[in-house]
Amino acid sequence: MLTVKKVSRTFQSGATGFENIDLQVKRGEVVGVLGTSGCGKSTLLRVLSGLDPEYEGSIQTKSENRGNAFGMMFQEPRLMPWLDVLDNVTFGFSKPSKKEAALELIETVGLKGFEHHYPKDLSGGMAQRAAIARSLLSQPDILLLDEPFSALDAFTKMQLQDLLLSIWEKHHTTTLLVTHDIDEALYLCDRIVIMRGQPGQIESELFIQRPKPRKRGDAVLGELKEQILKELDFTKR
Amino acid sequence: MSSRTEAAVSSPAVQRTKIKPAPKRKWGGALLGLVLPVLILILWETASRAGWVAPYLLPSPTAVVEEMSGMAQEGELWGHISITLYRVFAGFFAGLAAAVVLGAATGYSRIARQLLDPMLQALRAIPSLAWVPLFVLWIGIGEASKITLVAVGVFFPVYLNLTSGIQGVDRKLIEVGRIYHFTSLQQIKKVILPAALPSFIVGLRSGLSLGWMFVVAAELLGASQGLGYLMVYGQNTSAPAIVIGSILLFAVFGKITDEVLKRIQTRALKWQDNLENA
Ligand SMILES: Nc1ncnc2c1ncn2[C@@H]1O[C@H](COP(=O)(O)OP(=O)(O)OP(=O)(O)O)[C@@H](O)[C@H]1O
Ligand SMILES: [Mg+2]
Repeated sequence: MLTVKKVSRTFQSGATGFENIDLQVKRGEVVGVLGTSGCGKSTLLRVLSGLDPEYEGSIQTKSENRGNAFGMMFQEPRLMPWLDVLDNVTFGFSKPSKKEAALELIETVGLKGFEHHYPKDLSGGMAQRAAIARSLLSQPDILLLDEPFSALDAFTKMQLQDLLLSIWEKHHTTTLLVTHDIDEALYLCDRIVIMRGQPGQIESELFIQRPKPRKRGDAVLGELKEQILKELDFTKR
Repeated sequence: MSSRTEAAVSSPAVQRTKIKPAPKRKWGGALLGLVLPVLILILWETASRAGWVAPYLLPSPTAVVEEMSGMAQEGELWGHISITLYRVFAGFFAGLAAAVVLGAATGYSRIARQLLDPMLQALRAIPSLAWVPLFVLWIGIGEASKITLVAVGVFFPVYLNLTSGIQGVDRKLIEVGRIYHFTSLQQIKKVILPAALPSFIVGLRSGLSLGWMFVVAAELLGASQGLGYLMVYGQNTSAPAIVIGSILLFAVFGKITDEVLKRIQTRALKWQDNLENA
Protein backbone atom coordinates (compact mmCIF):
# COMPACT_ATOMS: atom_id res chain seq x y z
CA MET A 1 0.00 0.00 0.00
CA LEU A 2 2.73 2.37 1.02
CA THR A 3 6.36 2.04 0.08
CA VAL A 4 8.90 4.44 1.54
CA LYS A 5 12.43 4.17 0.21
CA LYS A 6 15.43 5.94 1.64
CA VAL A 7 13.45 9.01 2.62
CA SER A 8 15.27 11.75 4.53
CA ARG A 9 14.23 15.15 5.72
CA THR A 10 16.66 17.04 7.87
CA PHE A 11 16.86 20.50 9.37
CA GLN A 12 19.74 22.59 10.58
CA SER A 13 22.17 21.07 8.11
CA GLY A 14 21.47 17.49 9.09
CA ALA A 15 21.33 17.89 12.85
CA THR A 16 17.65 17.14 13.30
CA GLY A 17 14.82 15.53 11.38
CA PHE A 18 15.06 11.95 10.17
CA GLU A 19 17.26 10.01 7.79
CA ASN A 20 17.11 6.98 5.50
CA ILE A 21 13.70 5.70 6.45
CA ASP A 22 12.71 2.48 4.68
CA LEU A 23 9.22 1.28 5.32
CA GLN A 24 6.68 -0.97 3.64
CA VAL A 25 3.12 -0.94 4.82
CA LYS A 26 0.66 -3.54 3.57
CA ARG A 27 -2.98 -2.82 2.89
CA GLY A 28 -4.93 -2.81 6.12
CA GLU A 29 -1.85 -2.98 8.27
CA VAL A 30 -1.54 -0.88 11.41
CA VAL A 31 2.01 0.25 12.00
CA GLY A 32 3.01 1.98 15.19
CA VAL A 33 5.92 4.39 15.28
CA LEU A 34 7.57 4.71 18.66
CA GLY A 35 10.50 6.94 19.35
CA THR A 36 12.18 9.38 21.62
CA SER A 37 10.97 12.94 21.59
CA GLY A 38 12.40 15.01 18.75
CA CYS A 39 13.50 12.07 16.62
CA GLY A 40 11.38 13.23 13.70
CA LYS A 41 8.13 11.32 14.01
CA SER A 42 5.88 14.30 13.34
CA THR A 43 8.17 15.34 10.53
CA LEU A 44 7.87 11.88 8.99
CA LEU A 45 4.09 12.14 8.96
CA ARG A 46 4.26 15.62 7.46
CA VAL A 47 6.44 14.33 4.65
CA LEU A 48 4.16 11.35 4.00
CA SER A 49 1.02 13.47 3.97
CA GLY A 50 2.56 15.81 1.42
CA LEU A 51 2.68 18.82 3.71
CA ASP A 52 6.43 18.94 3.54
CA PRO A 53 7.66 18.49 -0.04
CA GLU A 54 11.34 19.03 0.70
CA TYR A 55 12.38 15.47 1.33
CA GLU A 56 14.75 13.13 -0.45
CA GLY A 57 13.90 9.59 -1.47
CA SER A 58 10.76 8.03 -2.87
CA ILE A 59 7.27 7.55 -1.53
CA GLN A 60 4.81 5.38 -3.41
CA THR A 61 1.20 4.60 -2.66
CA LYS A 62 -1.19 2.19 -4.27
CA SER A 63 -4.22 4.30 -3.85
CA GLU A 64 -7.09 4.45 -6.32
CA ASN A 65 -8.24 7.91 -5.39
CA ARG A 66 -5.25 10.20 -5.49
CA GLY A 67 -7.22 13.01 -3.89
CA ASN A 68 -7.49 11.56 -0.43
CA ALA A 69 -4.86 8.89 -0.23
CA PHE A 70 -3.82 10.28 3.14
CA GLY A 71 -5.92 11.35 6.05
CA MET A 72 -4.07 13.10 8.81
CA MET A 73 -4.65 13.80 12.41
CA PHE A 74 -2.23 16.25 13.93
CA GLN A 75 -0.71 16.27 17.36
CA GLU A 76 -3.08 19.17 18.19
CA PRO A 77 -6.78 19.20 17.29
CA ARG A 78 -6.43 22.08 14.78
CA LEU A 79 -10.15 22.72 14.63
CA MET A 80 -11.35 25.83 12.85
CA PRO A 81 -12.38 28.10 15.72
CA TRP A 82 -15.15 29.73 13.65
CA LEU A 83 -16.90 26.46 12.85
CA ASP A 84 -19.01 24.43 15.24
CA VAL A 85 -18.24 20.76 15.82
CA LEU A 86 -20.46 19.51 13.01
CA ASP A 87 -19.01 21.95 10.48
CA ASN A 88 -15.51 21.09 11.63
CA VAL A 89 -16.11 17.40 11.10
CA THR A 90 -17.53 18.01 7.62
CA PHE A 91 -14.74 20.50 6.86
CA GLY A 92 -13.62 20.19 3.27
CA PHE A 93 -16.85 18.60 2.08
CA SER A 94 -20.17 19.98 1.05
CA LYS A 95 -22.19 19.58 4.17
CA PRO A 96 -25.46 17.97 3.01
CA SER A 97 -23.77 14.99 1.41
CA LYS A 98 -21.75 14.11 4.47
CA LYS A 99 -24.02 15.24 7.26
CA GLU A 100 -25.36 11.81 8.07
CA ALA A 101 -21.94 10.20 8.20
CA ALA A 102 -20.63 13.11 10.25
CA LEU A 103 -23.40 12.85 12.83
CA GLU A 104 -22.72 9.16 13.12
CA LEU A 105 -19.00 9.75 13.67
CA ILE A 106 -19.73 12.48 16.20
CA GLU A 107 -21.83 10.02 18.11
CA THR A 108 -19.13 7.35 17.91
CA VAL A 109 -16.52 9.65 19.40
CA GLY A 110 -18.97 10.57 22.14
CA LEU A 111 -19.72 14.15 21.18
CA LYS A 112 -23.44 13.76 20.63
CA GLY A 113 -25.17 16.89 21.87
CA PHE A 114 -22.15 19.04 21.14
CA GLU A 115 -22.67 19.30 17.38
CA HIS A 116 -23.26 23.02 17.58
CA HIS A 117 -20.64 23.95 20.12
CA TYR A 118 -17.68 26.04 19.06
CA PRO A 119 -14.16 24.73 19.75
CA LYS A 120 -13.69 27.33 22.49
CA ASP A 121 -16.40 25.57 24.47
CA LEU A 122 -14.81 22.12 24.19
CA SER A 123 -12.32 20.58 26.56
CA GLY A 124 -8.96 19.53 25.17
CA GLY A 125 -10.03 15.91 24.96
CA MET A 126 -13.33 16.76 23.30
CA ALA A 127 -11.55 18.86 20.71
CA GLN A 128 -9.21 15.96 20.01
CA ARG A 129 -12.16 13.64 19.57
CA ALA A 130 -13.75 16.07 17.12
CA ALA A 131 -10.47 16.05 15.22
CA ILE A 132 -10.53 12.25 15.12
CA ALA A 133 -14.03 12.33 13.68
CA ARG A 134 -12.89 14.84 11.07
CA SER A 135 -9.94 12.73 9.97
CA LEU A 136 -12.16 9.66 9.64
CA LEU A 137 -14.90 11.29 7.61
CA SER A 138 -13.04 11.29 4.32
CA GLN A 139 -12.34 7.56 4.67
CA PRO A 140 -8.75 7.91 3.52
CA ASP A 141 -6.78 4.92 2.28
CA ILE A 142 -3.96 5.63 4.66
CA LEU A 143 -4.61 7.26 8.00
CA LEU A 144 -1.75 9.12 9.62
CA LEU A 145 -2.22 9.67 13.34
CA ASP A 146 0.20 11.81 15.31
CA GLU A 147 -0.15 11.00 18.99
CA PRO A 148 -3.90 11.18 18.72
CA PHE A 149 -4.66 10.33 22.33
CA SER A 150 -1.76 11.83 24.22
CA ALA A 151 -3.91 14.65 25.60
CA LEU A 152 -6.69 12.43 26.88
CA ASP A 153 -7.44 10.88 30.26
CA ALA A 154 -6.72 7.19 30.63
CA PHE A 155 -10.35 6.16 30.39
CA THR A 156 -11.30 8.17 27.31
CA LYS A 157 -8.08 7.02 25.75
CA MET A 158 -9.04 3.36 26.13
CA GLN A 159 -12.48 4.05 24.73
CA LEU A 160 -11.04 5.74 21.69
CA GLN A 161 -8.50 3.00 21.17
CA ASP A 162 -11.35 0.54 21.07
CA LEU A 163 -13.13 2.91 18.70
CA LEU A 164 -10.13 2.77 16.37
CA LEU A 165 -10.14 -1.02 16.57
CA SER A 166 -13.79 -1.16 15.54
CA ILE A 167 -13.18 1.28 12.71
CA TRP A 168 -10.30 -0.81 11.42
CA GLU A 169 -12.43 -3.89 11.60
CA LYS A 170 -15.02 -2.16 9.44
CA HIS A 171 -12.88 -0.28 6.94
CA HIS A 172 -9.48 -1.98 7.07
CA THR A 173 -7.85 1.43 6.91
CA THR A 174 -4.10 1.28 6.56
CA THR A 175 -2.73 3.26 9.46
CA LEU A 176 0.49 4.78 10.65
CA LEU A 177 0.20 5.59 14.32
CA VAL A 178 2.81 7.74 16.01
CA THR A 179 2.68 7.42 19.76
CA HIS A 180 4.63 7.79 22.97
CA ASP A 181 2.55 5.21 24.71
CA ILE A 182 4.09 1.75 24.43
CA ASP A 183 0.98 0.04 25.79
CA GLU A 184 -1.11 1.78 23.17
CA ALA A 185 1.20 0.64 20.39
CA LEU A 186 1.16 -2.92 21.71
CA TYR A 187 -2.61 -2.90 22.02
CA LEU A 188 -3.35 -1.52 18.57
CA CYS A 189 -0.57 -2.26 16.13
CA ASP A 190 0.37 -5.20 13.94
CA ARG A 191 3.92 -3.94 13.82
CA ILE A 192 5.96 -1.45 15.78
CA VAL A 193 8.77 0.58 14.28
CA ILE A 194 11.19 2.06 16.75
CA MET A 195 13.00 5.24 15.87
CA ARG A 196 15.73 6.98 17.77
CA GLY A 197 18.58 9.39 17.32
CA GLN A 198 19.12 12.90 16.04
CA PRO A 199 18.42 12.79 13.13
CA GLY A 200 16.10 9.89 13.75
CA GLN A 201 16.56 6.53 12.09
CA ILE A 202 14.69 3.26 12.28
CA GLU A 203 16.36 1.30 15.02
CA SER A 204 14.32 -1.86 14.93
CA GLU A 205 11.05 -3.42 13.95
CA LEU A 206 8.79 -5.65 15.96
CA PHE A 207 5.91 -7.79 14.72
CA ILE A 208 3.06 -8.48 17.09
CA GLN A 209 1.21 -11.56 16.00
CA ARG A 210 -1.45 -11.56 18.68
CA PRO A 211 -4.99 -11.50 17.33
CA LYS A 212 -7.03 -8.39 18.01
CA PRO A 213 -8.78 -7.38 20.20
CA ARG A 214 -6.01 -8.07 22.67
CA LYS A 215 -6.15 -8.17 26.41
CA ARG A 216 -4.60 -5.09 27.95
CA GLY A 217 -2.69 -7.06 30.57
CA ASP A 218 -1.45 -9.76 28.22
CA ALA A 219 1.76 -11.39 29.47
CA VAL A 220 3.36 -11.67 26.04
CA LEU A 221 2.73 -7.99 25.45
CA GLY A 222 4.31 -7.29 28.81
CA GLU A 223 7.49 -9.01 27.72
CA LEU A 224 7.54 -7.07 24.48
CA LYS A 225 7.16 -3.87 26.46
CA GLU A 226 10.29 -4.72 28.46
CA GLN A 227 12.15 -5.22 25.23
CA ILE A 228 10.97 -1.92 23.74
CA LEU A 229 11.81 -0.02 26.89
CA LYS A 230 15.34 -1.32 26.66
CA GLU A 231 15.61 -0.21 23.04
CA LEU A 232 14.38 3.28 23.84
CA ASP A 233 16.56 3.69 26.90
CA PHE A 234 18.21 7.10 26.76
CA THR A 235 21.13 6.08 28.90
CA LYS A 236 22.17 3.44 26.44
CA ARG A 237 24.90 4.59 24.06
CA MET B 1 -4.65 16.89 67.09
CA SER B 2 -2.13 19.59 66.40
CA SER B 3 -2.91 23.20 66.96
CA ARG B 4 -2.49 23.93 63.29
CA THR B 5 -5.31 21.65 62.26
CA GLU B 6 -7.53 23.12 64.93
CA ALA B 7 -6.95 26.57 63.61
CA ALA B 8 -7.75 25.40 60.14
CA VAL B 9 -11.00 23.87 61.27
CA SER B 10 -12.16 26.84 63.26
CA SER B 11 -11.42 29.41 60.58
CA PRO B 12 -10.96 28.19 57.04
CA ALA B 13 -8.22 30.07 55.24
CA VAL B 14 -10.18 30.30 52.05
CA GLN B 15 -13.84 30.95 51.98
CA ARG B 16 -15.84 31.28 48.82
CA THR B 17 -19.44 32.11 48.45
CA LYS B 18 -21.01 31.82 45.08
CA ILE B 19 -23.28 34.64 44.16
CA LYS B 20 -25.48 34.24 41.15
CA PRO B 21 -25.22 37.31 38.99
CA ALA B 22 -28.39 39.34 39.11
CA PRO B 23 -30.28 38.87 35.86
CA LYS B 24 -30.56 42.64 35.31
CA ARG B 25 -26.82 43.13 35.41
CA LYS B 26 -26.63 44.12 31.76
CA TRP B 27 -29.10 46.93 32.26
CA GLY B 28 -27.31 47.94 35.40
CA GLY B 29 -24.11 48.27 33.37
CA ALA B 30 -25.80 50.44 30.77
CA LEU B 31 -27.33 52.63 33.44
CA LEU B 32 -24.00 53.06 35.15
CA GLY B 33 -22.61 54.42 31.91
CA LEU B 34 -25.34 57.08 31.88
CA VAL B 35 -24.57 58.44 35.33
CA LEU B 36 -21.73 60.76 34.35
CA PRO B 37 -23.32 62.25 31.22
CA VAL B 38 -26.52 63.01 33.11
CA LEU B 39 -24.58 64.62 35.94
CA ILE B 40 -22.68 66.77 33.49
CA LEU B 41 -25.87 67.81 31.73
CA ILE B 42 -27.45 68.85 35.02
CA LEU B 43 -24.35 70.78 36.00
CA TRP B 44 -24.20 72.44 32.61
CA GLU B 45 -27.86 73.45 32.70
CA THR B 46 -27.60 74.90 36.20
CA ALA B 47 -24.38 76.71 35.30
CA SER B 48 -26.08 78.36 32.33
CA ARG B 49 -29.25 79.24 34.22
CA ALA B 50 -27.38 80.66 37.17
CA GLY B 51 -25.38 82.78 34.80
CA TRP B 52 -21.99 81.30 35.74
CA VAL B 53 -21.06 81.14 32.07
CA ALA B 54 -21.92 83.63 29.38
CA PRO B 55 -24.69 82.31 27.08
CA TYR B 56 -22.92 83.62 23.97
CA LEU B 57 -20.07 81.25 24.81
CA LEU B 58 -21.87 78.26 26.24
CA PRO B 59 -25.64 78.20 25.86
CA SER B 60 -27.63 75.88 28.07
CA PRO B 61 -28.52 72.36 26.85
CA THR B 62 -32.15 73.36 26.54
CA ALA B 63 -31.16 76.29 24.34
CA VAL B 64 -29.18 73.94 22.12
CA VAL B 65 -32.11 71.55 21.84
CA GLU B 66 -34.50 74.42 21.07
CA GLU B 67 -32.23 75.77 18.36
CA MET B 68 -31.77 72.40 16.71
CA SER B 69 -35.43 71.39 16.92
CA GLY B 70 -36.32 74.77 15.43
CA MET B 71 -34.07 73.99 12.49
CA ALA B 72 -35.53 70.52 12.28
CA GLN B 73 -39.07 71.88 12.13
CA GLU B 74 -38.15 74.28 9.37
CA GLY B 75 -36.78 71.22 7.56
CA GLU B 76 -33.35 72.78 7.10
CA LEU B 77 -31.57 70.35 9.41
CA TRP B 78 -32.52 67.19 7.54
CA GLY B 79 -30.77 68.36 4.41
CA HIS B 80 -27.55 68.89 6.32
CA ILE B 81 -27.78 65.56 8.07
CA SER B 82 -28.57 63.56 4.98
CA ILE B 83 -25.81 65.10 2.86
CA THR B 84 -23.27 64.37 5.62
CA LEU B 85 -24.50 60.80 5.98
CA TYR B 86 -24.33 60.38 2.23
CA ARG B 87 -20.72 61.57 2.15
CA VAL B 88 -19.71 59.29 4.99
CA PHE B 89 -21.34 56.21 3.55
CA ALA B 90 -20.26 56.77 -0.04
CA GLY B 91 -16.70 57.43 1.13
CA PHE B 92 -16.80 54.50 3.51
CA PHE B 93 -17.86 52.00 0.89
CA ALA B 94 -15.48 53.37 -1.74
CA GLY B 95 -12.55 53.18 0.69
CA LEU B 96 -13.68 49.77 1.87
CA ALA B 97 -13.86 48.35 -1.64
CA ALA B 98 -10.39 49.58 -2.52
CA ALA B 99 -8.99 48.32 0.77
CA VAL B 100 -10.51 44.87 0.38
CA VAL B 101 -9.15 44.42 -3.13
CA LEU B 102 -5.66 45.71 -2.37
CA GLY B 103 -5.50 44.28 1.14
CA ALA B 104 -6.50 40.82 -0.02
CA ALA B 105 -3.98 40.97 -2.85
CA THR B 106 -1.06 42.08 -0.70
CA GLY B 107 -2.06 39.79 2.13
CA TYR B 108 -2.23 36.74 -0.02
CA SER B 109 0.25 37.18 -2.84
CA ARG B 110 3.88 37.82 -2.13
CA ILE B 111 4.41 39.54 -5.47
CA ALA B 112 1.53 41.93 -4.94
CA ARG B 113 2.87 42.64 -1.49
CA GLN B 114 6.35 43.46 -2.73
CA LEU B 115 4.88 45.57 -5.49
CA LEU B 116 2.22 47.51 -3.63
CA ASP B 117 2.95 47.54 0.04
CA PRO B 118 5.99 49.85 0.11
CA MET B 119 4.14 52.46 -1.92
CA LEU B 120 1.00 52.25 0.19
CA GLN B 121 3.02 52.44 3.38
CA ALA B 122 4.75 55.55 2.06
CA LEU B 123 1.43 57.14 1.12
CA ARG B 124 0.17 56.35 4.58
CA ALA B 125 2.92 58.49 6.04
CA ILE B 126 1.30 61.55 4.45
CA PRO B 127 -1.16 63.08 6.91
CA SER B 128 -4.37 62.49 5.04
CA LEU B 129 -5.64 66.06 5.37
CA ALA B 130 -2.66 67.15 3.33
CA TRP B 131 -4.48 65.71 0.34
CA VAL B 132 -7.25 68.25 0.55
CA PRO B 133 -5.74 70.99 -1.61
CA LEU B 134 -4.77 68.46 -4.24
CA PHE B 135 -8.20 66.82 -4.33
CA VAL B 136 -9.83 70.22 -4.59
CA LEU B 137 -7.52 71.12 -7.45
CA TRP B 138 -8.10 67.86 -9.23
CA ILE B 139 -11.75 67.12 -8.63
CA GLY B 140 -13.06 70.52 -7.59
CA ILE B 141 -14.89 71.32 -4.40
CA GLY B 142 -17.93 69.26 -5.32
CA GLU B 143 -19.09 66.04 -3.74
CA ALA B 144 -16.43 63.91 -5.38
CA SER B 145 -13.49 65.49 -3.59
CA LYS B 146 -15.19 65.16 -0.20
CA ILE B 147 -16.09 61.56 -0.79
CA THR B 148 -12.57 60.84 -1.97
CA LEU B 149 -11.14 62.34 1.18
CA VAL B 150 -13.39 60.20 3.37
CA ALA B 151 -12.46 57.17 1.29
CA VAL B 152 -8.74 57.84 1.83
CA GLY B 153 -9.37 58.03 5.57
CA VAL B 154 -11.29 54.76 5.57
CA PHE B 155 -8.88 52.97 3.29
CA PHE B 156 -5.77 52.75 5.45
CA PRO B 157 -7.08 51.21 8.65
CA VAL B 158 -9.10 48.66 6.70
CA TYR B 159 -6.20 47.86 4.40
CA LEU B 160 -3.65 47.50 7.19
CA ASN B 161 -5.87 45.34 9.37
CA LEU B 162 -6.88 43.11 6.51
CA THR B 163 -3.31 42.45 5.35
CA SER B 164 -2.05 41.82 8.84
CA GLY B 165 -5.07 39.63 9.52
CA ILE B 166 -4.38 37.55 6.45
CA GLN B 167 -0.68 37.31 7.15
CA GLY B 168 -1.37 36.33 10.73
CA VAL B 169 -3.50 33.32 9.84
CA ASP B 170 -2.27 30.27 11.73
CA ARG B 171 -0.12 28.14 9.44
CA LYS B 172 -1.43 25.09 11.25
CA LEU B 173 -4.95 25.77 10.03
CA ILE B 174 -3.78 26.35 6.48
CA GLU B 175 -2.09 22.95 6.63
CA VAL B 176 -5.42 21.36 7.44
CA GLY B 177 -6.71 22.82 4.19
CA ARG B 178 -3.71 21.44 2.36
CA ILE B 179 -4.46 17.95 3.67
CA TYR B 180 -7.77 18.30 1.84
CA HIS B 181 -5.95 19.45 -1.32
CA PHE B 182 -7.69 22.80 -1.31
CA THR B 183 -7.12 25.08 -4.26
CA SER B 184 -5.96 28.61 -3.51
CA LEU B 185 -9.49 29.87 -3.90
CA GLN B 186 -10.90 27.28 -1.48
CA GLN B 187 -8.07 28.02 0.90
CA ILE B 188 -8.97 31.72 0.83
CA LYS B 189 -12.67 31.13 1.21
CA LYS B 190 -12.62 28.43 3.85
CA VAL B 191 -9.60 29.23 5.96
CA ILE B 192 -7.96 32.57 5.32
CA LEU B 193 -10.96 34.89 5.15
CA PRO B 194 -12.74 33.52 8.23
CA ALA B 195 -9.48 33.55 10.16
CA ALA B 196 -8.77 37.14 9.12
CA LEU B 197 -12.30 38.32 9.89
CA PRO B 198 -11.69 39.53 13.46
CA SER B 199 -8.85 41.77 12.39
CA PHE B 200 -10.85 42.96 9.36
CA ILE B 201 -13.77 44.05 11.52
CA VAL B 202 -11.45 45.93 13.82
CA GLY B 203 -10.22 47.71 10.68
CA LEU B 204 -13.80 48.50 9.68
CA ARG B 205 -14.54 50.12 12.99
CA SER B 206 -11.46 52.30 13.06
CA GLY B 207 -11.99 53.07 9.36
CA LEU B 208 -15.49 54.26 10.07
CA SER B 209 -14.41 56.52 12.90
CA LEU B 210 -11.73 58.03 10.66
CA GLY B 211 -14.40 58.44 7.99
CA TRP B 212 -16.40 60.60 10.38
CA MET B 213 -13.35 62.61 11.22
CA PHE B 214 -12.59 63.24 7.58
CA VAL B 215 -16.10 64.22 6.67
CA VAL B 216 -15.91 66.95 9.32
CA ALA B 217 -12.61 68.09 7.86
CA ALA B 218 -13.96 68.10 4.31
CA GLU B 219 -17.06 70.03 5.30
CA LEU B 220 -15.17 72.52 7.42
CA LEU B 221 -12.85 73.27 4.55
CA GLY B 222 -15.38 74.04 1.89
CA ALA B 223 -19.01 73.07 1.72
CA SER B 224 -22.36 74.75 1.40
CA GLN B 225 -24.23 72.02 3.17
CA GLY B 226 -23.70 69.36 5.81
CA LEU B 227 -23.19 69.23 9.54
CA GLY B 228 -19.61 70.42 9.21
CA TYR B 229 -20.79 73.41 7.22
CA LEU B 230 -23.38 74.07 9.90
CA MET B 231 -20.57 74.35 12.43
CA VAL B 232 -18.74 76.91 10.30
CA TYR B 233 -22.01 78.77 9.84
CA GLY B 234 -22.63 78.77 13.60
CA GLN B 235 -19.13 80.07 14.17
CA ASN B 236 -19.51 82.88 11.64
CA THR B 237 -22.87 83.98 12.99
CA SER B 238 -21.74 83.66 16.62
CA ALA B 239 -24.35 81.05 17.36
CA PRO B 240 -22.66 78.54 19.68
CA ALA B 241 -25.90 76.60 20.03
CA ILE B 242 -25.64 75.55 16.39
CA VAL B 243 -22.00 74.52 16.78
CA ILE B 244 -22.68 72.51 19.90
CA GLY B 245 -25.81 71.00 18.36
CA SER B 246 -23.83 69.87 15.32
CA ILE B 247 -21.12 68.38 17.51
CA LEU B 248 -23.77 66.45 19.41
CA LEU B 249 -25.31 65.22 16.17
CA PHE B 250 -21.91 64.01 14.99
CA ALA B 251 -21.52 62.19 18.28
CA VAL B 252 -24.95 60.60 17.96
CA PHE B 253 -24.48 59.41 14.39
CA GLY B 254 -20.92 58.31 14.98
CA LYS B 255 -22.06 56.28 17.96
CA ILE B 256 -25.00 54.74 16.11
CA THR B 257 -22.93 53.62 13.13
CA ASP B 258 -20.20 52.24 15.38
CA GLU B 259 -22.81 50.41 17.43
CA VAL B 260 -24.12 48.78 14.25
CA LEU B 261 -20.61 47.56 13.42
CA LYS B 262 -20.11 46.42 16.97
CA ARG B 263 -23.30 44.36 16.79
CA ILE B 264 -22.10 42.81 13.56
CA GLN B 265 -18.79 42.14 15.25
CA THR B 266 -20.23 40.29 18.22
CA ARG B 267 -22.65 38.43 15.98
CA ALA B 268 -20.00 37.33 13.50
CA LEU B 269 -17.33 36.58 16.07
CA LYS B 270 -19.26 34.72 18.72
CA TRP B 271 -16.86 31.84 18.19
CA GLN B 272 -13.96 33.90 19.49
CA ASP B 273 -12.46 32.83 22.74
CA ASN B 274 -12.22 36.13 24.56
CA LEU B 275 -13.47 37.81 27.68
CA GLU B 276 -16.58 39.15 26.01
CA ASN B 277 -17.77 35.71 24.99
CA ALA B 278 -16.81 34.01 28.23
N1 LIG C 1 10.37 23.34 10.19
C1 LIG C 1 11.41 22.98 10.96
N2 LIG C 1 12.55 23.70 10.95
C2 LIG C 1 13.62 23.35 11.71
N3 LIG C 1 13.63 22.28 12.53
C3 LIG C 1 12.53 21.52 12.59
C4 LIG C 1 11.36 21.82 11.82
N4 LIG C 1 10.41 20.89 12.08
C5 LIG C 1 10.97 20.04 12.97
N5 LIG C 1 12.25 20.40 13.28
C6 LIG C 1 13.16 19.69 14.17
O1 LIG C 1 13.14 18.34 13.83
C7 LIG C 1 13.19 17.53 14.99
C8 LIG C 1 12.08 16.52 14.95
O2 LIG C 1 10.86 17.17 15.16
P1 LIG C 1 9.49 16.37 15.24
O3 LIG C 1 8.41 17.33 15.54
O4 LIG C 1 9.33 15.54 14.04
O5 LIG C 1 9.75 15.43 16.51
P2 LIG C 1 8.82 14.30 17.11
O6 LIG C 1 9.53 13.02 16.95
O7 LIG C 1 7.44 14.39 16.56
O8 LIG C 1 8.84 14.72 18.64
P3 LIG C 1 7.66 14.59 19.70
O9 LIG C 1 7.60 13.17 20.06
O10 LIG C 1 8.15 15.44 20.83
O11 LIG C 1 6.42 15.12 19.08
C9 LIG C 1 13.14 18.47 16.18
O12 LIG C 1 14.44 18.57 16.70
C10 LIG C 1 12.69 19.77 15.61
O13 LIG C 1 13.32 20.84 16.27
MG1 LIG D 1 5.61 15.05 17.29
